[in-house]
Amino acid sequence: MSTEIWLTLVSIAVGTYLIRVVPYVWMQRKQARSHNEGMMADTPDWLTVMGPAMIAAMFGTSLVPAHPTPLAWIASAVGIIATLLVWRKTRSMGVPTFVGVLVFGLVEVVFR
Amino acid sequence: MNISEATPPGSAWKQGLKDALPLLGAYIPIAISFGLISIQSGFGVLETILISVFIYAGASQFLFVAMVASGSPLWLVVIMTLLINARHVLYAPNITAYLGTDKRWIPLMHCLTDQIFALSLTILPKLAPQDRMAWYTSAALLAWFSWIAGTAIGAIAGDELTQRWPLINDVLPFALPALFLVLVAPRCTNLVWTAALACAAVLALVVKLLGYPNVAIPLAAIAGALVFHAMKPRLPSDDAQPTEAKP
Repeated sequence: MSTEIWLTLVSIAVGTYLIRVVPYVWMQRKQARSHNEGMMADTPDWLTVMGPAMIAAMFGTSLVPAHPTPLAWIASAVGIIATLLVWRKTRSMGVPTFVGVLVFGLVEVVFR
Repeated sequence: MNISEATPPGSAWKQGLKDALPLLGAYIPIAISFGLISIQSGFGVLETILISVFIYAGASQFLFVAMVASGSPLWLVVIMTLLINARHVLYAPNITAYLGTDKRWIPLMHCLTDQIFALSLTILPKLAPQDRMAWYTSAALLAWFSWIAGTAIGAIAGDELTQRWPLINDVLPFALPALFLVLVAPRCTNLVWTAALACAAVLALVVKLLGYPNVAIPLAAIAGALVFHAMKPRLPSDDAQPTEAKP
């Protein structure tokens, strides 16, 4: 890799880290100021909605299969239903995820 | 999991590893693909691994190797990859209330990916404050190391692996939507939250299918938040806040 490409890599790495860390430092200072002024340090209302909304959006984008064939869509639908059913029963994270992947894989393998 | 008091020593570390385990199903196959594509684009094995160590952001890594390989201007490569990662700006402020003032959180922010954010927003409020750093560190480091290991495997033997076990690439990444689903489902506690989150999920899927994967998440999240605020007057005041407890 040339020096220019290394510098590009370092710029992206530093930029990505700053995108992750600067908002943390900003929010921490905002909360410290609120605390010093004797106010409740609370997360802004719009942020508390954006967090879950971003997770829901990630769920939506991750649903699109790498190879979006009809079989992959059907397997995704069956896998999601299986995940949801097991989650309703267990209210946990690991088991429903495992069962979802298993069911998705079974549909992919059996009907391929 | 419902931890309200401090857990025995080591337990939060184990819980972090356990909670992050489903991520491996998605991280490793995607990282193997990245390693393979990076080598095919002309990068060396060590260079490929270092990209995963330092950038650690899936979509922008793929874009980085593709743009560099195609001879794009390097300033444009920097701008485009950072634009893709711009959505991460919202992650830390959402969880800062659970983190406290310990300076060690600053380097740990390197590992705040989409998936670690989603896990943290769900799990951290349930943990005792003194357990949060141990939980986050173990979950985040497991995810990061699995990404680096997957990249190394892909760079060294990705071609052979994907030929021998083609299903690895097709099946294991389903861990991601399954995990996101179990993170979203507990928040659907009433009609308003359900409508807002369903709107965000469906819109993100549609926008990605239309060929705009990089704007899908922020755009759909904003739409979901707007739906929430439009329907909020229907909520009893106790339900207007997210479901998790405050730290």
